[in-house]
Amino acid sequence: METDASLTADGARPLLEVRNLHMQFPIKRGLLRRTVGFVHAVNDVSFSIRPGETLSLVGESGCGKTTTGRCIVRVYSPSSGQILYQQDERESVDLAQFDNRELRPFRREIRMIFQDPFSSLNPRLPILQIVGEPLRANRIASGSELEDRVATLLRRVGLRPEYIRRYPHAFSGGERQRIGIARALALNPRLIVADEAVSALDVSVQAQILNLLQDLQEEFKLTYLFIAHDLSVVEHISHRVAVMYVGKIVELASADELFANPLHPYTEALLSAVPKPDPRLRNKGVRIRLEGEVTDPSNPPSGCYFHPRCPYAQDRCQHEEPPVREIGADHWVACHFADELELRGFEAIGAGTDD
Amino acid sequence: MQPTPTKLDSAADAMISADESLLAVKDLKTHFFTDEGVVKAVDGVNLSLKRGKTLCVVGESGCGKSVTARSILRIVPAPGRIVSGEISFQQRNGAMIDLAQTNPKGREIRQIRGREISMIFQEPMSSLSPVHTIGSQIMEAILLHLPVTRQEARKRAVSMLELVGIPRASEQLDSYSFELSGGMRQRAMIAIALACEPQLLIADEPTTALDVTTQANILDLIRDLQQASGMSVLFITHDLGVVAEIADEVVVMYLGRDVESGPVDAIFHDPKHPYTRALLQSIPRYDSRDRDRLYSLKGTVPHPFDRPSGCPFHPRCDEFIHERCNTVDPDRYAAGTAESVRCLLYSPDED
Repeated sequence: METDASLTADGARPLLEVRNLHMQFPIKRGLLRRTVGFVHAVNDVSFSIRPGETLSLVGESGCGKTTTGRCIVRVYSPSSGQILYQQDERESVDLAQFDNRELRPFRREIRMIFQDPFSSLNPRLPILQIVGEPLRANRIASGSELEDRVATLLRRVGLRPEYIRRYPHAFSGGERQRIGIARALALNPRLIVADEAVSALDVSVQAQILNLLQDLQEEFKLTYLFIAHDLSVVEHISHRVAVMYVGKIVELASADELFANPLHPYTEALLSAVPKPDPRLRNKGVRIRLEGEVTDPSNPPSGCYFHPRCPYAQDRCQHEEPPVREIGADHWVACHFADELELRGFEAIGAGTDD
Repeated sequence: MQPTPTKLDSAADAMISADESLLAVKDLKTHFFTDEGVVKAVDGVNLSLKRGKTLCVVGESGCGKSVTARSILRIVPAPGRIVSGEISFQQRNGAMIDLAQTNPKGREIRQIRGREISMIFQEPMSSLSPVHTIGSQIMEAILLHLPVTRQEARKRAVSMLELVGIPRASEQLDSYSFELSGGMRQRAMIAIALACEPQLLIADEPTTALDVTTQANILDLIRDLQQASGMSVLFITHDLGVVAEIADEVVVMYLGRDVESGPVDAIFHDPKHPYTRALLQSIPRYDSRDRDRLYSLKGTVPHPFDRPSGCPFHPRCDEFIHERCNTVDPDRYAAGTAESVRCLLYSPDED
């Protein structure tokens, strides 16, 4: 793809650069578990994350956003593509090629926060062990030093250090998510992949965790890859946003630009579907309702994957796959008609300026 | 089908039908008697729902909104039971019945469930049977409540699936729930719930597990069906965006109580209770300055075993009045456009 070099052409060297990432899962059937096809969960995805920024991946369930995140932390081995990680000033390494032993030092620097604070903490371990495990596994601390470090971490995420010997069941959902964040912070990471980190939380707790994530980002110069489906949260926390549809990035831009001036019809439809927390806006503005279902990634349509549901689709969309191209500064989109369509942003949809 | 309704005294009867109310819950208390102690999941909830309107019950997890809904249908799981309170419901024949007094396994309530009041749930995968076809689940409801033959029931099931927008309805009738996508499953569940044209639909977080685009379609569907049939909807959600989209009236709950109720516009544009205000301020909004800190409520919802004294919200409240809020349990007061607010700030006796 001609885009990957320019995707990063912005001066600052990216902390992480994903190039033409593919992830295919085999579909196995029958007694002999023969492979009868592939689910192309991540299909030629390229983007970069700059140091200190929050990049969000959004899209409906099944669009491949979680798989992309898991490829980056190398829970999965990508089928092909590069994951270039900026190791230090000069050198970058391709994480996609490494085996488990080679990955070990990088597992400290790239950490993950999970969605469900109930299933991601071992119920049989006290907080000391859950948060301290990465420190012990990497032989950084043990004994009383470990306890001190865990206590410091707990304090940093807003938990009382006296809780160190309690088990996860004694904590609420928000507190458990703080424990998960403390565990991710234990090894002073540079990049945190937060997979739906606030989706399971109530609004008041969600606000606390979002504030905590922003404070930690400032304090430790963290870089976030934030995977989410809630667009109002994404708008709040992100610097840049990538919209995914059936394994592909269809649009990538700064958060302000993407929400104000979407260029892909799918982005417009997503923005229009977000319920606005103001009853006076009801029945005002445009409503774009997508017909049908998300395309099956094991059997995608020809041409542009979005064309069966796209209200603006034309003949060309059925046959020709749109390339990712730059329209406007640092605004990338994969749509043939991106520069012709006049799509409405979040504000226009919400305020009803365009009936 | 001749239900024998429990007659309320005529004074209450007249009062309730005067404001066209279909359902009125008064001071409902549902407690769970566990080995560790009594959990007061619902501890004095009041709400009323007018015909053809949508009432949203909103609150954080553990505030008792689902238990309130289940209390209305008398499907509270053991060891929970209704301790006191009144649930007056006007039946189709005009008779009033106090659902709180019915036997949860008795004939009366079984003739109301599915026929007069239906419910849809958050997770359609676990509330639909995986071993019965969608069609047989719809027909079960129809055959149970309506005097029709199997052929007629099947026809009606097809037309229900068409009504909720499931493509190729007559084929899909014979498919199983796992063969459908999340949005289609939720549509199938709505078809089952509406098969007998209930007067009241209780929707417990029906869109929480769905994508935004699917959620928008399901909300549209519920609204359209409501307009066509004139049913009332009791909608339970924690998502204030959804409330703003769909509600006529709103009840905000905290720790098993209604803390504020009123018309949707009043709740969003003139919230009275400090908790309602805090909730509204915690949602990330487009018009707020990007990446500013969000307002966040201090602390967490207290454990149900140690309920704070006085106003249950006082430990987290910014407008806490020392020596008053932690001792006095606030009553429901009228304040401006809100119907009722449980907060001492609006008590006529306070200065």
